[in-house]
Amino acid sequence: MFDWLQQNVIWMIPAAPLLACLWIVFVGQFARRELAHRPVVLALSVSVLSALYLMFAVVPKTFVEHHGEAHAAHAEEHPAEHAAAEPEEAEHPSEAVSALAAVEPSEEGHAEETHAAAKSVTFLVYNWFDVGDMHIPVLLRADAMSSLMLLMVTSVSLLVAIFASGYMHGDPGYPRFFAAMALFVFSMCMLVLAGNFLLMFVFWEAVGLCSYLLIGFWFHKPSAAAAAKKAFVVNRIGDFGFILGVFLTWTTFGTLDFQQLFEDPTLITGVAHSNPAIFTTICLLLFVGAVGKSAQFPLHVWLPDAMEGPTPVSALIHAATMVTAGVYLVARCAPLFMHAPLALLVVSIIGAITALVAAITALTQYDLKRVLAYSTVSQLGYMFMSLGAAAANPEHLMQHAVTFAMFHMFTHAYFKAVLFLAAGSVMHAMGDIIDMRYFSGLKKALPITHRTFLCGALALAGFPLLSGFWSKDEILSVLFAASRTSSPYALAFSIIWAVSLLVSLMTAFYTFRAYFLTFHGPERFPEAAGHHPHDAPPAMAGPLYLLAFGAIFVGLIAGPTHLYAHYLHQTPGLPTADPHPMNLVMMGLSTVIALAGIGMAYALYGRGATAPAPDAPLSPAAAFSYNGLYLDQLYLALVVRPLRGLAKLSETFDKQVIDRLVDTTAAIPALVGAVIRPFQNGMVQNYAFIMLLGLAACLMWVIQAVAG
Amino acid sequence: MAIVITILLPLAAAAFLLLMDSRAPASRARWWALVATMLTCAVSLGLASQFVSTVNSVLPKRGIIEPRLEVHHTWMTVGETPAGEPIHLEIYLGVDGISTAMILLTTLLCISAVLVSWTAVQERAAEFYAALLVLEAGLIGVFCAFDILLFYVFFEFTLIPLFFLVGIWGGPLRRYAAGKFFIYTLAGSLITLLGLISMVGMTMQAVPTLTTPFSMPALADALATHPLPAEVQGSLFLAIAAGFLVKVPLFPFHTWLPLAHVEAPTAGSVLLAGVLLKLGSYGFLRLCLPMLPAGCAAVGMPLIAVLSVIGIIYGSLCALAQNDIKKLVAYSSVAHLGFCMLGMFALNIEGITGGVLQMINHGLSTGALFCLVGMFYERYHTRMLSDLGGLATKLPRLGVMMVFIAFASIGLPGLNGFVGEVLALAGMFKVQSPYLNGMTYAALGAMGVVLGAWYLLGVLQKAFFGPLQEPVHDDHAEPILDLNAREMLAITPLALMCLYLGLFPQTLIDLIQPDINGVLQASAAQAQAVAEQVAALSR
Repeated sequence: MFDWLQQNVIWMIPAAPLLACLWIVFVGQFARRELAHRPVVLALSVSVLSALYLMFAVVPKTFVEHHGEAHAAHAEEHPAEHAAAEPEEAEHPSEAVSALAAVEPSEEGHAEETHAAAKSVTFLVYNWFDVGDMHIPVLLRADAMSSLMLLMVTSVSLLVAIFASGYMHGDPGYPRFFAAMALFVFSMCMLVLAGNFLLMFVFWEAVGLCSYLLIGFWFHKPSAAAAAKKAFVVNRIGDFGFILGVFLTWTTFGTLDFQQLFEDPTLITGVAHSNPAIFTTICLLLFVGAVGKSAQFPLHVWLPDAMEGPTPVSALIHAATMVTAGVYLVARCAPLFMHAPLALLVVSIIGAITALVAAITALTQYDLKRVLAYSTVSQLGYMFMSLGAAAANPEHLMQHAVTFAMFHMFTHAYFKAVLFLAAGSVMHAMGDIIDMRYFSGLKKALPITHRTFLCGALALAGFPLLSGFWSKDEILSVLFAASRTSSPYALAFSIIWAVSLLVSLMTAFYTFRAYFLTFHGPERFPEAAGHHPHDAPPAMAGPLYLLAFGAIFVGLIAGPTHLYAHYLHQTPGLPTADPHPMNLVMMGLSTVIALAGIGMAYALYGRGATAPAPDAPLSPAAAFSYNGLYLDQLYLALVVRPLRGLAKLSETFDKQVIDRLVDTTAAIPALVGAVIRPFQNGMVQNYAFIMLLGLAACLMWVIQAVAG
Repeated sequence: MAIVITILLPLAAAAFLLLMDSRAPASRARWWALVATMLTCAVSLGLASQFVSTVNSVLPKRGIIEPRLEVHHTWMTVGETPAGEPIHLEIYLGVDGISTAMILLTTLLCISAVLVSWTAVQERAAEFYAALLVLEAGLIGVFCAFDILLFYVFFEFTLIPLFFLVGIWGGPLRRYAAGKFFIYTLAGSLITLLGLISMVGMTMQAVPTLTTPFSMPALADALATHPLPAEVQGSLFLAIAAGFLVKVPLFPFHTWLPLAHVEAPTAGSVLLAGVLLKLGSYGFLRLCLPMLPAGCAAVGMPLIAVLSVIGIIYGSLCALAQNDIKKLVAYSSVAHLGFCMLGMFALNIEGITGGVLQMINHGLSTGALFCLVGMFYERYHTRMLSDLGGLATKLPRLGVMMVFIAFASIGLPGLNGFVGEVLALAGMFKVQSPYLNGMTYAALGAMGVVLGAWYLLGVLQKAFFGPLQEPVHDDHAEPILDLNAREMLAITPLALMCLYLGLFPQTLIDLIQPDINGVLQASAAQAQAVAEQVAALSR
């Protein structure tokens, strides 16, 4: 039983939600539609358990090998792998592929050996396609990083699915919603487990599809239909960079396989010797993909609009999981980014700009979900700032940079999910109204929602000892460390560090502005809510409490104890580093900042103040912030309209120039005919006359020739 | 024998339909047509399985072009070689992996073409279905022909039934459209014919022992050992390309296409986009790549790469500006075939495989798109985006199918379009030729992927999502209903194939791979022959 699980638990994680999705599509949508959540909840429970088993019982078996003789044995066993990595032989990666294929744990008899030899757990589903130098198997691969990510994805998904069974109750598209959710969880797990770049790209697009389907869930709303298209198209811009990065990786290394690229450093170091400049290009192209998916500046504009989708979707896809795929991509490619400090600096700068822009925008939003959306964008910016911090000294900082980014992603998933779900609960109670100008003082009416939202808000603001505090504090300290190196980028990191402190202050402020406006002040309900709004029913309250628990304790359990960090450090390919000491000064500083932000919010909004009337005019500065720095309008003017104009122009050009040219060419024979036609008029006299002329001409020519 | 049956079956059915009483109701003709197309499809499946078993049983002896299940018939003797052997013209039919795949696509699409015409065509129905079946026979003939003359005959022959399909059963501008499309493609292919004849003539001079100069395999083998000089190959390529460029169509030879599509009846559009356009790329693959590899590398690659990239971006932009959905899909074909040609002229295994996959994929997804457009045109008598909105609420099955096929066409991974696009782009990305930098072209081509999502999702957003908006239709009292069983039957096989080829593309790749390897051998063989000549001269 356990032997079987060792081999197969990895595919059960994505397979369970896929089965649930198929079940709903073929059976569940026709019979007992109101129970469509059951297969999904069941499947996700299986996924969570499998992910736990994978994380604690399967993946750790690959760890031992990191130290000591096992590694040497591994190297001797597979000389082909090493030979292929020699620079002069790097053009023949196919041999290495076959060598590796032998290591796959598909043959049960060799299970023990393979587990001792491999640095990751793999499972070959089938060979997708194989053409020339492009070998793309559907290969699942789990290492420490992916199992941590899987645990986060499956656990949040399960809680959100339970919440949604209450939240979406009575919606005519109930089965469709759960089918798409299950498809999303499948795609997201596959993205995390993908064993090569192209497979990752496949599911990168697939989660984009699910996001499209779920943002546009209420497709009869024009705003939802528009937001869905915007999300997909903007993501495609990022994917454009990603796929080019994949191609360049393929032509540079001759393989797209993660095992070959990341588990054996020789391949990368070989290229780093012969062609170091290529790393910057590859990494920047891959980062373009991350910018699209993780909603970073300048492609972040789709995420706030994505809030048109049902709130559980916002919580799961657009806060906790899918949008963190970009962070995962960069963290996964850390061995490549190691050799591209310039690309890392760009990552950090883009993260800082995003965090700042999003935080400025969040300051004045009245739509509770948009506040949270911008805060998500801003927090993702933090993660990228952290990842890029390694630029200052890749050898020593990479490990910390990746660890802290991934840890912040982990804690963020829980506290942002609880915030979104609590916002959803508010929306549920207020009759689908989420604008804070229409309600206030909900503390008494919605006690469960209030309590859980407060937990999430405190965690997001970085209140001491809550989860956000631990992870954000570490990011601040790694940025600080980067600014203290002797690298030429140190100055840049000083600025980025300052930005991160400022954003931290703003985060605490806007989070508690939203909290106070929603839950404090005079009790007001919109008309749509009726007189006695209901707090979350049990199906919604349960997940809220569990996530709130996570928001409080996840950081405390995994942060100061370094449980998360030690586990993550086992990821193959991640460079090792000295342990990171706890920085008490930084902790003190971030505590002060968090409290200052909360205090400012209390001073402005906490003492019975309510939001202005919905039609109240905004000051220029507030309007600038409220409209997201007018970036949407800017893109409309600079990109969308010019492209539409160009499209119109192309169409006119097609009709008026190219087709005209064709018609003109076609008219030439007719024209020639029109000129010659009079001579062919059937009158014999004319023919005789022309013949005479011709004869005369011939005669003259002959005479001239004779005379001359 | 199966090959001959596959070609003759639809022809016989067409003859039967034409002999039927012309006053017979449309219902009888369409049932006969349906039975005939289904039988043809069944026979072509048999042909395919026979082909696969032959490939597996016969020892692999790979020439450059190597058809199986051949049918040879000496047509006439036209002269003698210096050694006194007679030179023949042949009727030479056969199939290889690529043509098998194309034949299956053709016979599958023809079933859908009959089903979507079921109620749409009421006038002169027997003649309509006869023309459709003649077209099917012609298309299958092109893919079976391994003799250049026969290929050319079938290639031109397909114009005639399509001319009538567009010219008689088309829209308001049908005569202009039919005439333009006929004359444009005919003019182009006449230059092709000149090029082909000069190529054959030159080869006969270079290889006097050639007894079947028009046979593609013989010609390719002869040229492999006695390649024509590179400059000659370049100019021959340009001549032969003329007709194929118009047919594909590549920018700037595409303007007949949107017009023909808009005016054609649905079935005509399905076959035009699904199969007829592929005759151009198929021609390149059969007659340029194996015979003139040096010309393809020196002239073809830079020329076609530039035109394809312009076509991808320009076609997508034109699609973006359209209000007429049929025209939009037509322009999207220009863009999609740009991917196909970009891959094919990467001249490496990844690129050509991608190009061929793209031929099949575009046939399936665009064929299905035209079917769907026809279905709602039949309901609302309009194709204008501005007249429609929120159809998914009222016609959920049509909505689901449209979303599915749109994503297949956009190239969503897991559906058919993706693998072809990725391989075509990857192939081009890899190219490092003295004539062009493949990375730039691949990158420019990949921009089309973004634009593709924009215009097709735009169609979904405007026509299918949002609040319901229907054009006023008071002339018909009958209610507008969702897709019926017949329509589902027309579209479902195509959708299923899209899914299957997306998940298991290797089935198709295995089928076509040996032939593409053969094509690639040609360039290596010719290069080697040239090197040997140079070595012999220097000695």
